[in-house]
Amino acid sequence: MGLIDQATLVRVKRAVEAGAKDALLRTTEPHADTLHFTIEKTAMRAVVEVLVNELHARFLISVGTDERPVTGAFSVLHVFSLDRAHLFILLEAPISENDLRIESITEVIPGANWAEREFRDAIGVYPEGHPDPRRLLLADDWPEGVYPLRRDVPYNYHPPRAENVRPQLREPPTGASVVPMGPFFPVLEEPAYWRLFVEGETILGCDARIFYNHRGIEKLGDSVLTYNEIPFLAERICGICGFIHSTCYCQAVEKAAGIDVPRRARFIRTIMLELERIHSHLLWLGIAGHIIGFETVLMQAWRIREPVMWLCEEISGNRKTYGMNTIGGLRRDLPNEIKPKLLKGLTEVEEQSIAVRNAVIGDSTLHARTKGVGVLAKDWAKKVCVVGPPARASGVAIDARIDHPYAAYDEVPILMATQEAGDTWARVLVRVTELLESIRLVREALQALPEGPICSEIKEEIPPGRVGVSVVEAPRGEAIHFVLTGGDNRPYRWRVRAPTYPNLQALPAMVANANIADVPITLGSLDPCFSCTERLETIDRRTNEVRVYSHAEILGLSRRKPPGGGVP
Amino acid sequence: MTIWFVKTLLLCLLNVAAALLLSPLCEGVMRKIRAALHSRIGPPVTQPYWDLLKLLGKEDLRATGGAVYAGVPALTLASVLLLAVLVPMATAAPLAFAGDMIVVLYVAAMSGVLIMLAGFASASPYASIGSSREMMMLLSVEPILAIALIVGAFKARSLTLGGIANWQMQNGPSISMAIGGVAFFLALQAVAGKLPFDIAEAEQEIMGGSLVEQSGPRLALFRWAIWTKQFVLAFLLVEVFFPWPRFGNYLVDLVTTVVKVLVVLALVTLIDVVNPRLRIDQAMGYFMRVAVSSLAALAFAVIGK
Repeated sequence: MGLIDQATLVRVKRAVEAGAKDALLRTTEPHADTLHFTIEKTAMRAVVEVLVNELHARFLISVGTDERPVTGAFSVLHVFSLDRAHLFILLEAPISENDLRIESITEVIPGANWAEREFRDAIGVYPEGHPDPRRLLLADDWPEGVYPLRRDVPYNYHPPRAENVRPQLREPPTGASVVPMGPFFPVLEEPAYWRLFVEGETILGCDARIFYNHRGIEKLGDSVLTYNEIPFLAERICGICGFIHSTCYCQAVEKAAGIDVPRRARFIRTIMLELERIHSHLLWLGIAGHIIGFETVLMQAWRIREPVMWLCEEISGNRKTYGMNTIGGLRRDLPNEIKPKLLKGLTEVEEQSIAVRNAVIGDSTLHARTKGVGVLAKDWAKKVCVVGPPARASGVAIDARIDHPYAAYDEVPILMATQEAGDTWARVLVRVTELLESIRLVREALQALPEGPICSEIKEEIPPGRVGVSVVEAPRGEAIHFVLTGGDNRPYRWRVRAPTYPNLQALPAMVANANIADVPITLGSLDPCFSCTERLETIDRRTNEVRVYSHAEILGLSRRKPPGGGVP
Repeated sequence: MTIWFVKTLLLCLLNVAAALLLSPLCEGVMRKIRAALHSRIGPPVTQPYWDLLKLLGKEDLRATGGAVYAGVPALTLASVLLLAVLVPMATAAPLAFAGDMIVVLYVAAMSGVLIMLAGFASASPYASIGSSREMMMLLSVEPILAIALIVGAFKARSLTLGGIANWQMQNGPSISMAIGGVAFFLALQAVAGKLPFDIAEAEQEIMGGSLVEQSGPRLALFRWAIWTKQFVLAFLLVEVFFPWPRFGNYLVDLVTTVVKVLVVLALVTLIDVVNPRLRIDQAMGYFMRVAVSSLAALAFAVIGK
């Protein structure tokens, strides 16, 4: 990569050695940008304190793995990033089956809260001293003592049906009443259950139960599917940023196996990733308008968004879920003939986006509803490890495209948009700026698109026991995929972390003492994506009759005036 | 006596029928304008009639028992229809002899209070929040309606709506009545529950507020009442503050008045489309400022402008 400074590597190694003392078992450098330390679990908290307090490392995610068939023990691995040094630090501790406990790091890093609860639910290693050890990942009727990501639990295990179960939710403080938001609520596109504790219209606190959508995608990845099948499943983790997840997964495997991706494929990946950001930010702008009752913004933003979907269809054959990624590159090329059409379409989208931006920025009622609303302080944003536009709007200058360059971002660099205020308005500004920046990036990448192959040939089998960490800057923030390679042509462990996962953990602080009316837009300003967070797969309802409608037919059907005013 | 009674009854029925039958059409036109500004085609203008028919044909599901919850929808519509016979619609109000401006103000507030009661009676946290917001909106909007009408009463030296309208007809435009009319119009936006003041319903925050537990025929009656109320108050606005021109022919006058009402409702829709929803504290602050400025109209009226 050439970005890594040798002095930094030495500094990190010395600091970890000093923190771990005799507990350091092994140090490896699996890749130029990754340091992998294996330590005794007793030293975990001490080393984490060194990383966070001395090196200012940012916590990304924890991965709990059942490695008993290989090493005879479980393992808990915390992933950190040194953003300025472009470095990943993996901190792994083996956990013996006889003592399934590890020191909790949530007191050092509040943002590790969910990650620790998740490995507790998944493999049954208990984070000791965790401030809130309630169930997170598993359904409320899932039996105690069954840990789905352990190797001895089959992927198609059906737990017995349970009766009279309810989520473990906190009671409201005295004097406060409960206003539920969810599990189904007009502004939540997906189920999530927020309990707001209110006095009058003022919010005293809140509690949440999410993960209603958990579908066990990670389990399928390490038990049923093969390396080259997983990109299709990864793409279906999310309905909006599917390409981001398939790219992120492919990059993790490519990194673990040491596969080079051809330059043209990296450019096309960049183009598709930025097209996704364009339509996702326009989608978000519309939804944000809808949340505060501004339907005109919804209708106009989505009208502008529609041609972007057509461009994606022109390239890949699909509006969404392109199925283009594969390990080593792409399955489908971007034909050079459609370049002029893409450039023309982009110019139109750009003109209309600028018009909407100017209208939004000048609207004083919008200012009244968003300025000073849902403020996320910079300190707390760092502690909860918030990513993406919410982080950048609070003055935390992180962006995976700069911190850990992938695809072709080293050749078409981005300009990072940041704001200091940390309120909803700042998050609007960051996203609108990024929208226009993405249009510029797609245009430049299209013009610089090199010729050549789109996929490299993989001659040898991918060796087991290799790790790969890959990050991709999704529209909502940084998505992380961690892959530990295995035999049988499939990963031993595949861990996905979507950007909404850390961002949602910041919500309670953002709505404290706010008005009920401000909660939906504050939640909306995080651009939450629950299906990503919970790794859901949705399946279309099939009809017996198959019929292909043309675009014009569908438009005609939806616009037909049915006789008598009924539904067509 | 009998002839007078039959004539009054017929006129009342005419007003009630006009209000009931034309208000969904106005709502349909407003939806069409809204759609056009959204770059949508929008539903046909007759859609509100079909909405009402569909809702009326559904099962009557009740969230809670209790007389208040059961009786409020019909009472709400009745209160709005009472308002319809107290307001001049292209000709003198049929029940003008029975109540002056002050009665009109009370009757106009009745439907809001009833919807509020329906919310409190439906035992839902969203409805309770919606009702308390409705109450705050009523308290900040009613004074503006009152000040605007008092300006007219002061100028015309009459407490009847007909008296004010006639005076306005004969004396032409004045600064004080213009300010009063604008203040009344701004208040109408809130009374009709349109953006940026649809705070008591706020689908995205409290799922429809006071009406969240209403469905089927009960919801139909509430919807009809709300549409009729915005229609009748728009009539009140054009009849009292902007009565010109009047041709003396009942049918021609009716048509011109309906056109003016449609213009008023189109303006209401325009404001609705270009604004996001305010928070309740922001809306109350806004109406506080409107109320204070409408006092200027009173000052102008005192010095004869």
